[in-house]
Amino acid sequence: MTAHHGATAEPVDVNDPKLTRFDIVKEGLRRDDIEIITYESQFQGPNSKAEKRVVRNISFLFLLSGLFALVFLVSYIVWPWKFELGHTLSDYYTPILGVSLGISLFALGIAILAWAKKLLPHEVSIQQRHGDPSSDDERLITGQTAMYVADELGVARRPLLKGAIGLGLAPLGLAAAAPLVGGLIQNPHRDAEPMMYHTGFDPKTNGDKLVRLTRDDGSPIRPDDVSAGGQMTVYPGVPGGATNKFADSPTLLIHLRADDAEKTRVAADGDKNGRNKGSMWGNYVAYSKICTHAGCPASLYEQQTNRLLCPCHQSQFLITDNAQPIFGPATRRLPMLPLSVDDEGFFVATSDFKDTVGPDFWERP
Amino acid sequence: MKRRKLDPAEATANFAKGADDRFQAATPLRGLLNKVFPDHWSFLLGEIALFSFIVLLLSGVFLTLFFDPSMKEIPYEGSYPALRGVEMSQAYASSLHLSFEVRGGLFMRQMHHWAALLFMASIVVHMARVFFTGAFRKPREINWVIGVLLFLLGFFAGFTGYSLPDDGLSGTGLRIASAIMLSLPVIGTWLSAAIFGGEYPGELIIGRFYIAHVLLIPGILLALISVHLGIVFKQKHTQWAGPLRTNENVVGERMFPRYAMKQGGFFMAVFGVIAFMAGMFQINPIWLFGPYRAAEVSSASQPDWYVMFMDGLVRLMPNWQIYIPFGDGYSIPPLFWPAVVGLGALFTLPMAYPWLEARKLKDTRSHHLLQRPRDNPERLGIGMMALAFFTVATLSGANDVIADKFHISLNAMTWAGRIGLLVLPPLAYYVSVRIAFGLQQHDREVLAHGVETGIIRRLPNGKFEEIHQPLGPVDEHGHPVPLEYAGWVVPKKMNKIGALGPAVKGFFFPVEAPAETPVSPAPIGSAKKEEISSKR
Amino acid sequence: MTSDTPARRRARVFSRRRGAPSRARRRIGAAVRMLAALALAGGVYTAFTPGAFAEDNTPLSTAAQQGKELFDNSCISCHGRDGQGVEARGPSLIGVGSASVEFQVGTGRMPMTRQEAQAEQKAPQFTPDETKQIAQYVQEIGGGPEIPAGELTEDLKANPDALARGGELFRVNCTSCHSFGGAGGALSSGKFAPSLGDATPEEIYAAMLTGPQNMPVFGDNQISPDEKREIITYIQTQIQEDKDPGGVFNLGRYGPATEGVAIFLIGITILVFTSLWIAGKS
Repeated sequence: MTAHHGATAEPVDVNDPKLTRFDIVKEGLRRDDIEIITYESQFQGPNSKAEKRVVRNISFLFLLSGLFALVFLVSYIVWPWKFELGHTLSDYYTPILGVSLGISLFALGIAILAWAKKLLPHEVSIQQRHGDPSSDDERLITGQTAMYVADELGVARRPLLKGAIGLGLAPLGLAAAAPLVGGLIQNPHRDAEPMMYHTGFDPKTNGDKLVRLTRDDGSPIRPDDVSAGGQMTVYPGVPGGATNKFADSPTLLIHLRADDAEKTRVAADGDKNGRNKGSMWGNYVAYSKICTHAGCPASLYEQQTNRLLCPCHQSQFLITDNAQPIFGPATRRLPMLPLSVDDEGFFVATSDFKDTVGPDFWERP
Repeated sequence: MKRRKLDPAEATANFAKGADDRFQAATPLRGLLNKVFPDHWSFLLGEIALFSFIVLLLSGVFLTLFFDPSMKEIPYEGSYPALRGVEMSQAYASSLHLSFEVRGGLFMRQMHHWAALLFMASIVVHMARVFFTGAFRKPREINWVIGVLLFLLGFFAGFTGYSLPDDGLSGTGLRIASAIMLSLPVIGTWLSAAIFGGEYPGELIIGRFYIAHVLLIPGILLALISVHLGIVFKQKHTQWAGPLRTNENVVGERMFPRYAMKQGGFFMAVFGVIAFMAGMFQINPIWLFGPYRAAEVSSASQPDWYVMFMDGLVRLMPNWQIYIPFGDGYSIPPLFWPAVVGLGALFTLPMAYPWLEARKLKDTRSHHLLQRPRDNPERLGIGMMALAFFTVATLSGANDVIADKFHISLNAMTWAGRIGLLVLPPLAYYVSVRIAFGLQQHDREVLAHGVETGIIRRLPNGKFEEIHQPLGPVDEHGHPVPLEYAGWVVPKKMNKIGALGPAVKGFFFPVEAPAETPVSPAPIGSAKKEEISSKR
Repeated sequence: MTSDTPARRRARVFSRRRGAPSRARRRIGAAVRMLAALALAGGVYTAFTPGAFAEDNTPLSTAAQQGKELFDNSCISCHGRDGQGVEARGPSLIGVGSASVEFQVGTGRMPMTRQEAQAEQKAPQFTPDETKQIAQYVQEIGGGPEIPAGELTEDLKANPDALARGGELFRVNCTSCHSFGGAGGALSSGKFAPSLGDATPEEIYAAMLTGPQNMPVFGDNQISPDEKREIITYIQTQIQEDKDPGGVFNLGRYGPATEGVAIFLIGITILVFTSLWIAGKS
């Protein structure tokens, strides 16, 4: 084989009583095709000063590890740990646990590593890889054996069996997959009015009555609740309207300043399919809070520049241009909620959003 | 009956005999004890991932004892005052419970989260080592592919775990995940409906993520990690070139005791660092985020760092939407390209790389010796290109935080990312290839002319020249005989070839003992072999 | 019905604000500015708002008179005589109220050193007393929202639910810009929402009430004074005073971004050095 193999070692009789333990180890190494070529103590003679120092240091590390493990245990038990408001001792519970356990484990690690690195003899061993592929004969035999197995089964000679296996097993495989797929699959378009295209502001969710705009506690909103230059997150005034059941419904009601409102009205009325015509009420406008890019709440409203920023991917919508995206990855305007005020003076949505709320998808009309 | 005294040595021998009778364990066990592993610091990077995975399993089991993956809304009644009475899902309430009412629970949660970050970070560092040294070459291509899959699985394990507490931050991430599913052409709405059990967010997703996070993904991870290690064991570890080292052998130390002790000690060190970080650095303070509400969001909403590259690509993507004017009209939103196509490409291209490189180099041999990065400039360049791309994408995933804290315009950050994503990778390729060639050339020069000594000599004709110390024999004119490059470090300073005394020992102050006079190393092969204890 | 609320007036006067003035315009001498201010004060103002500020004729209080002196020294060049505003330099202060002055001047945002995307917080140029005097002056010349007297935080012993309610309001109204941890965040094109780490109750209250810079206005009809106090209680107790239970360092509460930096700078670095030591020659 190679030059190193067996160059220094001859087989020995391991039962020879004259052999030392190391001789037997070397015989084992020889059998595993390993040769130790350097194996020497790192110290000058036994009990050298240097060795004693290393042993002392390692022992110190083990003791340190134990000490900090004790610190961990004691603080785990006695340190006040119940959360309290303000700056209290319990704020240091987690740090103390972490530091004590961290030091304990790290010291233990370093102790073991130092032992392996500094105390054990310096060693260089060489092992042969034997990464050669199997011989051609071996490959041939295995290949022929596998082919013979196929011959034994005789599928090729028995076409009926072949067809029957295919026809028999394929449905079984499908049957195994069916519950998983069938259980999970839901038709997103199954309802006559799929939720994807509708929000809680659709009068249908409210017994065909117009839906009020409400705060998260369900209280309705009067126009003078929102100051000029202000905005408010509003929800459909239906049961559970502020919960995640209506995750597409959160809307931003903005009270624009007069000239901004005028610009917005012109832009919204000039929308090319005309669906936003008359959707503003006075200087108030409401846009879906759900970003048309990835569905985050686009709610960073800048009252002077009238931009609405989405904090997830930085799409920016210009409210005075009918919420047109002017920066970032969003491609579609935020849908506008048509507003009015009911007899009692509260905001209502005169209909659902005229455009699909939320991120885009393949079949969005 | 006479009681026999138990002799421990005899009992052990009997046990061993019994084991071998039944399992024929003696020979394979000896092979295991004796197996030789090469030693280099960069071979330990993968171990960090392995050890953090063990910490993840340990701390994760603890967390499952207290976590309740239910999305039922309940009012919070726990000990955290700022949320008392707030309606929240049981998943979020139980996450708060295990943070505040379980002794040491917060510590375990933070340990789990830091271990997850470390797991992914060490995978990336380990993959970079394997890539740049060519350790993925035949016969190790499959193990490289498994490694890429491990990153992908870690990515999903991390994302599902991050989503479980159902807090305000992770809920935002979940919403983006649903948008990514929706962006798939044709099947988008169907896929999202299948995963969320209807319309987003529904009431099932946390339970489904829980089973994926604690059973399915860790199960596959564990299986793949076992296969990964098994293949390393079977194929034996690669090694650097160097004296005695060939493509046919492994030079190093035996598995027991030294190598195993190093592994054990390093495990403790990794465990210790995770525990230390879990105590010192607060991570994911879910109590500040509140329960997930579709209307609430925070500025600086980011995923964990290993998902940030994807989020960064999504942020940088221009608003290009493809409209298909067919029937009612269909569209492919811009989210699809970075999040689905980008993620797919970022995983399939690395998987295919070993075969692409072998094909290009027409290389069908098996390689067990590593290549220094400089020795394959093209690979170095491609790797640096990928790293530059990944880094720009990852930084862009946090571009709002960078913009805010360094007072840069957010829009400028986005544009810098867009331009950087196109410009920096080729630049990284060019620069690293040039550097690799430069280093190669310098190695060859030193081999041909010797080490620069720093001694200037004046020739009789008045010319000054620097004396070079040849590394090998010289010819009859005193000129060094050019040496063959061996794929390993070329000494370039005089003290590397023993011209100076050894470095002073001692960390804080020098160890006073006089330095031992340097002795030339014992000739290889005839070194004295010392026995530990020869008594049998 | 909304046509003549203070908010509307403020809207009108605020919208006069334009972008940065041209260099040439800034060079116009003091005389021209004075002329413009005089013209405004003398003619345009009275013509535009007849009888709206009948209190103008009432004499200023002592504090307001002291405030007027400070105003005439430091603010008049941009905000004009009697706070009427100067075209392309500074908005009118009629109707902005004392709350706005206390916020802008008290946090050093005003006087501005130069026109930029957003007025930066600096060391205040006036003492708290002087700030109050200017605020009093602006209040008396134009009216507008005021910071109420009394405690701006809730007593948690008497009203323990205030904290959680404040937290809910904070997450609905504030976190989108100021972030869950109150660390602040970036807005479009160089603007930003500042950190709440060192904001005083008065500043927070005034900011909500007046909507400084690009911050939306949260009037008392939208968030009642009680609710404002609850929000301030949450910010003070939760964001400012509470030490983070999860560690000595909270990594700025910037979320995963700094956590990712930490795992590389600390975790990976320590462990790479450890492995260098393990495999190093001894």
